[in-house]
Amino acid sequence: MNETADRVLGGCRIAVLLATAAIQVGLSLARLTDTPGRLAFAALAVVLVVAAWWVLRWKPVPWPVALAGAVVVLAASTVAVWTLPTDRLFGDENWASGLAGWHLLVLLMDRPALAMAALVLQMTLAFVRQFGAELTTRGEIGSVVIVGLSVLTFQAATLALIGVVNRRAGEAAEASAERDRQAHRKALAEEREADQRNRFAGQLGATLPLLAGLADRTLDPRDDEVRRRCALAATQLRRLFAENDDVPDPLLHEVSACVDLAERRGLTVTLAVSGEPAPVPTAVRRALTAPLMTALVAARSHARVSVLRADDEIRVAAITDGEPGVTENGSGAVDVEWHALGERSWMEAKWRSRPN
Amino acid sequence: MAFATELTAVVIDDHPAVRAGVVHWLSCGTPPVTVVAEGEDVRAAWIGEGAQADVVILDLHLDSTTPAMGDLRRLTEAGRRVVVYSMRADDETVLQCLELGALSYLTKAEGAEHLLEAVRTAAADRSYTPPSLAGAMAGDRSERRPALSARETEVLIEWFQSESKDFVAHRLGISPNTVNSHLERIRVKYAQMGREAPTKAALVARAIQDGLIGVSDL
Repeated sequence: MNETADRVLGGCRIAVLLATAAIQVGLSLARLTDTPGRLAFAALAVVLVVAAWWVLRWKPVPWPVALAGAVVVLAASTVAVWTLPTDRLFGDENWASGLAGWHLLVLLMDRPALAMAALVLQMTLAFVRQFGAELTTRGEIGSVVIVGLSVLTFQAATLALIGVVNRRAGEAAEASAERDRQAHRKALAEEREADQRNRFAGQLGATLPLLAGLADRTLDPRDDEVRRRCALAATQLRRLFAENDDVPDPLLHEVSACVDLAERRGLTVTLAVSGEPAPVPTAVRRALTAPLMTALVAARSHARVSVLRADDEIRVAAITDGEPGVTENGSGAVDVEWHALGERSWMEAKWRSRPN
Repeated sequence: MAFATELTAVVIDDHPAVRAGVVHWLSCGTPPVTVVAEGEDVRAAWIGEGAQADVVILDLHLDSTTPAMGDLRRLTEAGRRVVVYSMRADDETVLQCLELGALSYLTKAEGAEHLLEAVRTAAADRSYTPPSLAGAMAGDRSERRPALSARETEVLIEWFQSESKDFVAHRLGISPNTVNSHLERIRVKYAQMGREAPTKAALVARAIQDGLIGVSDL
């Protein structure tokens, strides 16, 4: 049972406890006449006080205490009813048979079946005593049964009402929790989407300013530098699209994507691969392919791209007939080297899977 | 380099166009290599003029998906100098060819220049290491791989990346001839692995003769 339902049940318990105390003090105290009656009254009062210790703190009465309390209540009511002289059984002096049921409700409210059984038992004990007395007329029998049953019915109805309220509260709480969970999931999903959008925007690199420049005509597509930037942006996008593909060899897949775009640009590219595929983190793949893209964009007509995977290191290299690029040694994990020899330039990005 | 007689070769490949192309490349080389026989299966290397050819150029994938390792083994055991010329194969197959005694392994992406060089060096009982083979050796992670020095590994990697010995020499600050010696020494180390083959023995003997390695290195 959830928290809200527990709170509702706790409230009901307090209400019944206060009602019982009011009935006991307000209606029964004045009707005490004999010593056994006073003792029974005191026992019931003690049970109520003991139960109040838990009930007023919104907790159910512990199971052993509730059971012991119920026995005491049944005993007290029996004593009070059975010690009454026969002629007073049907008058104001018989306060106990109507009152004890409320005590049982306070104690056993969390177990409706048991509470009902105890109520019926208590009322039966009272009936047995009353019928055992000298009832003569059908009118007397009728009035006893009517009084007894109306009290019992009222108590049973209270019990049932509490049960219904409790169940409804449980359902309401469940629905509200589900609503909370859905709101939470939605918030999470929105956050993730925003995050992905941001990451994607970050990975778009030079694309957005380039598109903006072309759109407002501050950049001229006839300019070689602008074309080079376009080629770089296109390669970055192509590589980014390849990044999330589910392939057995993601690094080679991304390198191939870069090579593919260079070939579409009219370059002659040879791609040489050696060694077995090895797992490479996404960030490292980005760092390995970023200088490769720079090198390929700078190439004029020829490029040789190689991927070498040895024991604990991975090298992506490109030899082109273009200008060497600037070393972008940002990520730290990947070493990038540029080297020029005559007309050609050499780039190598190296990553060690087990850093020294 | 003086060749007393002209070099001869036999070309085995299941594609006629490839055979024709290889014959043309070899005939255009300096010195030219004469193709005395060609055929779509390995019989051409065993009968007729092909049986006497100096070098066998063998396609590893003859009409089937499994590489013709058995044919390669029988040829090297008979002391034939084999240059494997194949579609790009996995590194394991490449290294297995070396172990069986092939003097060189070229992929078909590697052109006339490498093929001619491979045939010429094979005829002299020397090895030729084209870039793809260097890459396979540099990425070799097998248990049985020979121990290479740091410099030898660098040479392999640079050669694989650049396809230019001048470039390797410049990068490492050594002469192109030293690059070649490193590559040959590496090949001798590989020749000492695995089963014996006359071609491998000849390769090692030649390396000693050339002063690349000493007898004490064996």
